[in-house]
Amino acid sequence: MARIVFTSGFARRYTSGVREFEVEAKNLRGVLKAMDDLYPGLGEHLEEETTVAINGELHETGYFQPVPPGAEVFFIPKIEGG
Amino acid sequence: MNDTTIVTDSVKRFKWVGTRPIRPDGVPKVTGRALYGADLKLPGMIYGKILRSPHAHARIRSIDTSAAEALHGVKAVVTSADFPEQKFDYIGPERVAVNFWHVTRNILAREKVLYEGHAVAAVAAMSSSIAEEALSLIKVDYEVLPHVIDVDEAMAADAPLLFENMITRGIEPAPTKPSNISKRLDFAIGDVEAGFRQADVVIEKEFKTAAVHQAYIEPHACVAKYEADGQCEIWSSSQGHFQMRALTAQVIGARLGDLRVTPAEIGGGFGGKTVTYLEPVAATLSKKSGLPVRIQMSREDVFRGSGPTSGASMWVKIGVKKDGTIVAADGIFKFQAGAFPGSPVMNGCLCAYAPYEIPNQRAVGFDVVSNRPKAAAYRAPGSPISAFAVESVLDMCAKAIGMDPLALRHKNACRIGTPTIAGPKHAHAGYAETIEALMKHPGYHEKLGPNQGRGVASGYWFNGGGESSATLQVNADGTVLVATGSPDIGGSRASMAIMAAETLGVDYSTVRAIVADTASVGYTHVTGGSRVTFATGTAVVNASRTVVKELCKRAALIWGVDEDGVVWEDGYAKPASSNVGDFKPLSLKEIAAKAAATGGPITASNGVNAGGQAPGFSTQFCDVEVDPETGKVTILRFVAAQDVGRAIHPSYVEGQIQGGVVQGIGWALNEEYIYNSKGQLDNPGFLDYRCPVASDLPMIEPILVEVPNPNHPYGAKGVGEVNICPPMAAIANAIEMATGKRMTSLPMSPPRLLAALSEG
Repeated sequence: MARIVFTSGFARRYTSGVREFEVEAKNLRGVLKAMDDLYPGLGEHLEEETTVAINGELHETGYFQPVPPGAEVFFIPKIEGG
Repeated sequence: MNDTTIVTDSVKRFKWVGTRPIRPDGVPKVTGRALYGADLKLPGMIYGKILRSPHAHARIRSIDTSAAEALHGVKAVVTSADFPEQKFDYIGPERVAVNFWHVTRNILAREKVLYEGHAVAAVAAMSSSIAEEALSLIKVDYEVLPHVIDVDEAMAADAPLLFENMITRGIEPAPTKPSNISKRLDFAIGDVEAGFRQADVVIEKEFKTAAVHQAYIEPHACVAKYEADGQCEIWSSSQGHFQMRALTAQVIGARLGDLRVTPAEIGGGFGGKTVTYLEPVAATLSKKSGLPVRIQMSREDVFRGSGPTSGASMWVKIGVKKDGTIVAADGIFKFQAGAFPGSPVMNGCLCAYAPYEIPNQRAVGFDVVSNRPKAAAYRAPGSPISAFAVESVLDMCAKAIGMDPLALRHKNACRIGTPTIAGPKHAHAGYAETIEALMKHPGYHEKLGPNQGRGVASGYWFNGGGESSATLQVNADGTVLVATGSPDIGGSRASMAIMAAETLGVDYSTVRAIVADTASVGYTHVTGGSRVTFATGTAVVNASRTVVKELCKRAALIWGVDEDGVVWEDGYAKPASSNVGDFKPLSLKEIAAKAAATGGPITASNGVNAGGQAPGFSTQFCDVEVDPETGKVTILRFVAAQDVGRAIHPSYVEGQIQGGVVQGIGWALNEEYIYNSKGQLDNPGFLDYRCPVASDLPMIEPILVEVPNPNHPYGAKGVGEVNICPPMAAIANAIEMATGKRMTSLPMSPPRLLAALSEG
């Protein structure tokens, strides 16, 4: 199981304030699908609006990212630099 | 320059990575032959000019272009009416949250002009002088409106509204009245109030920073050629030609496949060339005239019409125990977005306390519009602004408890596993090592003279990853071409060639790296966010590894053995063992010569969405001397330690650090936009907008701290941005030590410092 966490702002907008979830998934596609099943349309918001930190490592929110067992998966706002 | 590198993992073990070969773009640049955005001239090309608003805020009642169109030599005139309307929708990354309803209005104003310099109409003519004359014939009927420049004034309940229907996002329940506050953000971990109750010392302070421009030397410029069949080619100076293609396509209503964008050499960007101002206008003028059109900004246009970073108003409160443990931090960060929403306030909130392990943190941000050019990215956008406030208060805390400011930072330095304010834990080290580098620096322990002070500060930047592409071609003579889609701003052609040479095991001089146009290499995101050496470098190394596999396959064919019987070592195909046979090793050059006989051209492409980038940390100290009679601050010494992962080309990395520090010094001491009572910019040129020049500065001493990133083939981390985060606070802290005066507003220019000193 992976622990899925949203920022409070994101949770307020899309998950009625619920910030944490437990999800069974091998990769981010599985996480996105599980979240979309819970909150229809959420998967697209996550893809377009977030960067993901899997055990602290930042990645683009792409289906292919592996999610190790017991991983902590934080969805945070996408970041652009200069 | 002497070797300034502190290696933390092992002795260097590479042939090319970490060396300092001559830069491949050096000769064309020093001989003046490099082609920048304004250098291209096409047959039949005409000249575009843009009419800009003289008012800070006005409603456009009408625009009459008939007289301009009738002028002999004028080939096309455009206004916003020539561009499709865009849907009102915030899409994409949070910081920029591109809303094309806003983007198209920034490129050419529609209902209102929102800042002095806002583009209103454009003309293309047979000469620049005819175009200039035509601009004077365009009649714009304005209804001048009250304006607001300052961020605090823009947030006031009675402030003039830029958008009469703007309801602040991020507040529940949503406000019922419109305001200039586009968005409120909040981040928190722990219990801030409980944290402050544990503190022995609590210090809070308000701060202001000025909006400052990236001040790239080359003004924006582009050429567009729109053909009758709908195909359009654009040559432009930008930080991302794929980005220019995407933005232009959306704004003019074209398909990506119908646009081809070729990158010009770029004379600096620092974030300011990740957005488009001219390309859609030039393309539309070309479409209407049937001729290629060039538009270039003047320096004045750049200041009035392109985006600086935000100015800000901030409040920061930090609590520490007597032993130096930071127990709580709180802050409010109000950032100017300029005329349209989208300041880097989110980054400012996320980076503010990121270098530190603080159990209780809160950051509240406000994105606020006002009648100034729309803010654009500038080197670690947002982070230097909040760092000025946080690092100043930390210095006050250190002084209050009698602790060395580096020791305070070291005691609280984040480590792997430290939670950040957004939630994720730090996955990489590197910060403490930068502090230790300065603690060991002999200059940090030298005695200071009268009116002199020493200040320290730190900074954090995420660094970037994301999508990049690379293509390698092995030529018949054994030379290698590396094509990427990353405009070269900080030396990426050299670093790409180094990484390819290292991976292939060939001489650096045989590898040539170029920046290919949008039709010649795969999609590549902008050169920004300190992402290129990491992400594009990964694509180059991956493509090089594919080439190595192909070279082994060709060698196997030449020798008549199985592919797995060949290995690649030091640039040669060799038998994997004596059982394979006794073959003389084949070089890349020898295999390349047999390419036709063994299967055709040897080439490989790779596309990545690179993740696992490691953040950048920087710690700096400076010594200053303050002239008590004039308020002038002289920088005596500036030492900047930065965690660089592994320096692929150390000279370029040192250059990035020196450049970032110098821009930070300008931000600290002199740079600001000066507006008159009508909201017009009074200093739109380098004479009055005072950037530091060489004679203002000592040699900036960079220290490269190498804590390699295991997620990059050679350990690289982004190095371009974090260096601009500490200087403002470091200098303010040094001034405080020299004078006893805490400066809380930027710039700390001579008249302001003198006024502060006069207050006693």
